[in-house]
Amino acid sequence: MSSQVEKTVEFKIHRFDPKQKKHYVSTYKMPVRKGTTLLDALMYIKDNFDETLAFRHSCRMGVCGSCGIMVNGKPMLACYTQVLHLESNLLVIEPLQNMAIIKDLVVDIQPFFDRYDRIKNVLIKPEDELKKPTEFIQAPKELKKYWDLTLCIKCSICYSACPAAIDERFLGPSTYATNYRFISDSRDEGIDERLKPMAENVWLCTSCNSCTLFCPKEVDSSSSIVDEHSLMVETGAIPRTVKDVLTSVIRYHNPMGTHPSKRMEWAKDLKVKTFPTATKADVLYFVGCSPAYDPRNQEVARSMASIFGGLGVDFATLGAEEWCCGDHILRLGEKGLFEMLAEHNVSMFEKLDADRIVTLSPHCYNTFKNDKPYSDAGLHVQHYTQFVAEAIEHGKFKLPKAIKKRVTYHDPCFLGKRNEIFDAPRQILGSLKGLELDEMKRTKENSFCCGGGAGRVWTEEATPEKRPSVNRVKEALELGAEVIVTACPFCVTTLEDAVKVLDVEDKIAVEDILGLLKDAV
Amino acid sequence: MEKLTHDVVIVGSGLAGLRAAVAAAESSSKIDVAVISKVYPVRSHSVCAQGGTAAVLRDGDSYDLHAWDTVKGSDFLADQDVVEFFVEQAPKEIITQDHWGCPWSRTDDGKINQRPFGGHSFPRACFAADMTGFHEMHTLYGKATAYDNITFYDEWFVTSLIVEDNVVIGLTAINLKTGEIHVFRSKAIIMATGGYARIYEFTTFSHTATGDGMTMAYRAGVPLKDMEFIQFHPTGLVPSGILITGGARGEGGYLVNAKGERFMKRYAPEKMELAPRDIVARAETTEIQEGRGLDGPYGSYIALDLRHLGEEKINERLPLIRDVATKLSGVDPVKEPVPIRPAAHYSMGGIHANIRTETSVSGFYATGECSCLNVHGANRLGTNSTTGCLVFGAVAGEEAAKYAMSNSFREVPREKVSAEEKRVFDEILGGEGDERVPVIRDEMRCIMSEKVWIYRKSDELESALKELRKLRERFNDIRVEDQSRAFNTGLAAALQLDFTLDLAEVTIAGALARTESRGAHSRPDYPKRDDENWLKHTLAYYTREGPRLEYIPVTITKWPPTKRAY
Repeated sequence: MSSQVEKTVEFKIHRFDPKQKKHYVSTYKMPVRKGTTLLDALMYIKDNFDETLAFRHSCRMGVCGSCGIMVNGKPMLACYTQVLHLESNLLVIEPLQNMAIIKDLVVDIQPFFDRYDRIKNVLIKPEDELKKPTEFIQAPKELKKYWDLTLCIKCSICYSACPAAIDERFLGPSTYATNYRFISDSRDEGIDERLKPMAENVWLCTSCNSCTLFCPKEVDSSSSIVDEHSLMVETGAIPRTVKDVLTSVIRYHNPMGTHPSKRMEWAKDLKVKTFPTATKADVLYFVGCSPAYDPRNQEVARSMASIFGGLGVDFATLGAEEWCCGDHILRLGEKGLFEMLAEHNVSMFEKLDADRIVTLSPHCYNTFKNDKPYSDAGLHVQHYTQFVAEAIEHGKFKLPKAIKKRVTYHDPCFLGKRNEIFDAPRQILGSLKGLELDEMKRTKENSFCCGGGAGRVWTEEATPEKRPSVNRVKEALELGAEVIVTACPFCVTTLEDAVKVLDVEDKIAVEDILGLLKDAV
Repeated sequence: MEKLTHDVVIVGSGLAGLRAAVAAAESSSKIDVAVISKVYPVRSHSVCAQGGTAAVLRDGDSYDLHAWDTVKGSDFLADQDVVEFFVEQAPKEIITQDHWGCPWSRTDDGKINQRPFGGHSFPRACFAADMTGFHEMHTLYGKATAYDNITFYDEWFVTSLIVEDNVVIGLTAINLKTGEIHVFRSKAIIMATGGYARIYEFTTFSHTATGDGMTMAYRAGVPLKDMEFIQFHPTGLVPSGILITGGARGEGGYLVNAKGERFMKRYAPEKMELAPRDIVARAETTEIQEGRGLDGPYGSYIALDLRHLGEEKINERLPLIRDVATKLSGVDPVKEPVPIRPAAHYSMGGIHANIRTETSVSGFYATGECSCLNVHGANRLGTNSTTGCLVFGAVAGEEAAKYAMSNSFREVPREKVSAEEKRVFDEILGGEGDERVPVIRDEMRCIMSEKVWIYRKSDELESALKELRKLRERFNDIRVEDQSRAFNTGLAAALQLDFTLDLAEVTIAGALARTESRGAHSRPDYPKRDDENWLKHTLAYYTREGPRLEYIPVTITKWPPTKRAY
């Protein structure tokens, strides 16, 4: 007995024949009922249409972790997803990423499991404690501290989506989460032993949040890694590169190590109202460290200022009183320093009376929105793409000049994955005449990080082929794009470096949306 | 062909297999242990165990009480010496799990918490929310992978045991990644491949749990015991059959019929929903058969009502089943009763082995659900299975290691391997008939569901046996569409079907012969337990013509059979 067929859904399954080494696509029309899971559908296809289709599955209740696949670009467990809930009549099914394909949807998951061997996956206790014939005492509230992290089913979805995992030194999101699960377990006494295997590699995490976003068990690996950074910072066991970033911020309130008196250098030829001279404006323009100091991104800062000017917006900056927002610092684990920066900026926001804050960087935007004490301060924050898209929509911002280029848009993680701002940048690009926008396969929520987050933009030392940015530029090249457009100064920096490393400057360029807008006005 | 050599080879990486591996590895660093599994260890079906693990830990409980509950639950078919050993070993395993890191749920004063469970007269089910098996598995996996003397062969499909002169000397296995067949030489082999409830369609079982090891042992000459006793779990989620833990009733959930009645008052007035599973599953079936089930798109069902437990308790104690019911059945237990009905859940029967997990073949051990050590008799109590895996996993590991230390390797004769290669690649993969594996598989499940379910009638069992033997003949004409070697899931499915067909046959044969009703085996034509004639274990021996049945007595130590009421 079964319920009625609700609709027919087309399954386009990406296959791989290991003998012929051939990739191909098989298409099936699948009758879908209420309750039909993706796994039910795959099994139906295997039983009725094509017995040779290979995929893994076992428990069909979301606990064994066998059946991770990509569906319309997003990784998920086949057994834990109902087809009707995907609200699509066409499903493109692919194997998980970051692992070699053995056959069809079966990937070589061994490297994922191998990385667990580098940490200790049992309690660490003195031998005499372990010999006692009695249970260890653990209060429910102590259990609660690490319980959520015990729910990992080792499905490798996080690993598959992780930009840092392409470097085998990185242990993988769930391995760090497991390590932190033991660190947070009140029964465990092995913190030193647990910090060691990750001391050098945990900094490869870019805090892009893909692991947390796609985890079918809602394990927050991303935050665990930040907590591990914090422990490293506390013990002082941090690499030189990270130490340098933190020292610069302590000394100069920016990670680049430039004297704060130069924070307004980017605007030296422009008339920009600045605190403390100005104490009131409609818009507080929060420039951010990279656009303020990095010559490449100073252009972007200027472009935004001229747009404000052109629109007749009354805007002002905090001048030398603008301190690093602290987003990277928080994610590098230096919570104390972050709080100091945030408290300063919040007090400045009180002093410069503005209706809203517009940021250039998605990182400043994100931390203002989501991290205390900023998030408690009742700030009205916009990322510049939201501000500009709004102006275009209201007909205030005209873009008469055509830009005849074939571009692709790279979603910055802190704008997209973390704040779900996918449309505003695309609305702006859509209003540019002559522009041809192609999407990369990994886009929007499933975008692939440039590798710059959590301070990695300043600490990058991976070999080129292990850098997320290089991987990403290759994807754009395969698409045939002439320009990778983005909306984040750190994406610009990392992707531009990758273009240089790949020696493809003649084929592809990297541009912030603001850079394109300048040419279109 | 590559020959691989290990002192102790464990087939299966669930709770029993991993526990055995740790015990064997621990017994001496010189013992070289291998774990072969057709899945990565944490994919094993043990991760689906939910409600708890029974053990005597607190004042007010006692070994005798746990043993008595188990014996009464078994409808007196358990061997009582084994049960006594089992309950005495259980607490140690709980503490060991704690010391390795299992995140046990806790009482307010920080001790391991225990919940009530069906058939237990004391709350002795230690639990980790409703993911007990999952957490025990991940704890054991973490422990086992830390040993240098354990090698894992993940995604290797074992196809046969090699036995000579009644001594096990090795096995054959296909590396699924490459499709190559390999020979393992070993001094001792432990079978820990789990149960076979996938012979049914409506089951709590993982797709990969197909009882392979039972059939391999059976074909190698080891008898299967008490295979007619299959447990039907009272709360399989409709429509998938996914397990809804007995812990849901342990925490206070109600079973309700279409009239809104807690019908268990008519079947087990004292224990109500916490009666043993055979009794509850039969009660539900009667309610449905007599027209008091609720109507749904998937047929008549029973409602499991948890609403009165409240959201907080459900989130704390039963988070997985809330998530599963919401995601897969569209029913949030906080807001609505959950649609359930009995689902095939556990095989009390299995490879005939003794208290030390030894079988009739030297060097060959069996543990976990694939074995029948006589703890569970005719009906297993909830939470005694994970206990059994831990206790007898450890026993198997120690015993096999001991055996391996005092015995030596033997050469595997070439012709044995050639014969297996011929069977797998020429006969099964090379079959050129027009029968299809999924068709035969579905027909087998249909026969078992219609005729060998909770209530078994003579005529239906007879016709089931006939039909099943026809399926066995048709299997000889199969064709596997996938002719490649690497990760050939079509070949794996054919091998599994081949194994399960034998198990289905043994189950029916045993059920047909046993003309009484005991525990999970209910014969409407023989509605009473018949201690005079049937207080004995069934042994099924492999012959070319089908199973040959023999019987051995039940060991009674303290508790002579009495009336079983709850």
